[in-house]
Formats: sequence, structure tokens, C-alpha cells
Amino acid sequence: MNILLYGLVTGILFGFLMQKAHVIRYDKQLGALMLKDFTIVKFMISSVIVSMIGIYLLSDLGYIKLDIKSASLGANLIGGLIFGVGWGFVGYCPATAVAAVGEGRWDATFGLAGMLVGAAVYAEAFPLLKESVLAWGNMGKITLHGILGINHWIVIAVLTALFTGMFAWFEKRNL
Amino acid sequence: MSVLSRTSWSPYVAGALAGMLLVLSVLVSGKYFGASTTFVRSAGYIEQVFAPDRVKSLEYFVKTTPKIDWQWMFVFGGLLGSLIASRMGRDFKSTPVPPLWETRFGPNRIKRWTTAFLGGIVLMFGARLAGG
Repeated sequence: MNILLYGLVTGILFGFLMQKAHVIRYDKQLGALMLKDFTIVKFMISSVIVSMIGIYLLSDLGYIKLDIKSASLGANLIGGLIFGVGWGFVGYCPATAVAAVGEGRWDATFGLAGMLVGAAVYAEAFPLLKESVLAWGNMGKITLHGILGINHWIVIAVLTALFTGMFAWFEKRNL
Repeated sequence: MSVLSRTSWSPYVAGALAGMLLVLSVLVSGKYFGASTTFVRSAGYIEQVFAPDRVKSLEYFVKTTPKIDWQWMFVFGGLLGSLIASRMGRDFKSTPVPPLWETRFGPNRIKRWTTAFLGGIVLMFGARLAGG
């Protein structure tokens, strides 16, 4: 029971932050896809920087364990492309579509209904995909520092510097 | 109170706070953020009503059982959090068609809602394939 309560509270806080940052708006998500307004990228990448540092710090100290997902070229590339096409039409990703309903964006409810249908369709197609796309270019649980054979803090430092540079560029260009 | 009722927070600040929330979540409950698995569980839940045997026979629903778990509550909490934030900031607004869409495609609701629905099908199929 406790774990469900943790989920609810974490979700409420996350939804609160997304609403305040304006990232659950169709206009902002399309703005990023049209390379005109990078609000959602600022939110996502800020979150990535902080959590990347926090997660690796806690992992190094032995408090938590990492949960690295397998990389599969076929699944990630083809799935990503299909996702992108759908995203352009819906204008919300799954989590933001749910949160968008919370601030009165009724079009998101239709996006959500479609997403449920999409999940059911995927369940039907899964046996076929398992033998094909999902098996193509499966590289297992890889990491950047693992491939490069360097300490993870080097990757974290370089990425943080690159992301900060990107933010500075966004602000300079008023994006 | 004044900060909480402000309608707009810097995306950098809000994003950084979301990052801290994620780290705290992993530390306290061992859970990383995600949403799309919840759509599989919910789709299975709904499909169970109409075709329980079909759901039982599909490997994907056996692997991702229809149930309410941490992530389901997280996603649902996102709706509540957004509702609370928009109410506090007097930012809640009934919006059947997004402004940007309206300037480009007009105010027709059916057109927008149909597009969102069909796009949702494609999006979720891609998301599940990519593993997200």
C-alpha cells in the first residue's frame, strides 16, 4: 500500500512542476518540434543534469542501484521514428497528455484514448515484433562510459558542460 | 504561497526540481519515472472487460499484467498535480482546441480530436517498440 502512496505523491509533485513550467501545453511541445520554442527541452535537460549527477552519486555511495535499459538499434530507431510521427499529431507525450487534462486541455483525452488503443495494438503485434525488429541490433545494457572505457564522471562533466552551453545558446537566441 | 500561486516557473528551475524529485524517488521507493507501461496495464484492464480470454492469451499482457502499481499512481498523480498547480495559479482553462492548432487548422473540434486520437495510436505503438 505504501508504495502506491509514494507513487501518487511523487506524481502530484511532478505534475505540479510540469504545469508550472508550461511543458504540458500542445503549443510548447509543437514549438520544440518546430525548433521555435525550447521550453520543454530546457525542462527535460535540466532534469537530466540534476538526476544524472544525483543518481550516479548515490550509486557510487552504494545507496541505490542503477536500472540500465537494453539498447536495441532496430527497436530504438524504428520505434523512435514511429513515436515521433505520432507525437507530432497528438502534441503531447504520454505523461504530459495525462497532466494536460488536469489543466483543462480536453483534446488530450482523445490522445489518451488513442494511446490506450495503441498499447492494445502493440500487444497484438508483439509476437511478430519479437522475432523481427526487437531482435535487430540488440546491444544489451550499454552505457556511454562503458563503450568509451572511461570513468562515468568524465561523461557526466562533459555532458553537463555541453548542455549548459546549449542553454546559453537558447537564451542568446531567445528560443 | 506567492511562489506556488505564480502562473509561470522557469523551466530550468522546475526541471532541476523534477530531477531532484526523481533522485529522491529512486532513493526512497526504488522507482525511476516512466509512464507508458501504465498504458499497457490500463489497456489490458479495459480489454479484460470485453475479451478476457484474449488478454490471457497475449504474451505481452501476461508479461505486463493489468494492475495498479507505483507507476499507475504516479501517472494519475500527475493529473492531480497539474490540476492543483493550475488552480493555485488561476491558470486552469477549459481548452478544447490548442491555440496554435486553431491558428493553423481552425476551431473545428472533431478535426483536432480525431487527429489526437489517431496520433495517440501511432505514438504509443512507437513508444512501446522503442522500449519507452
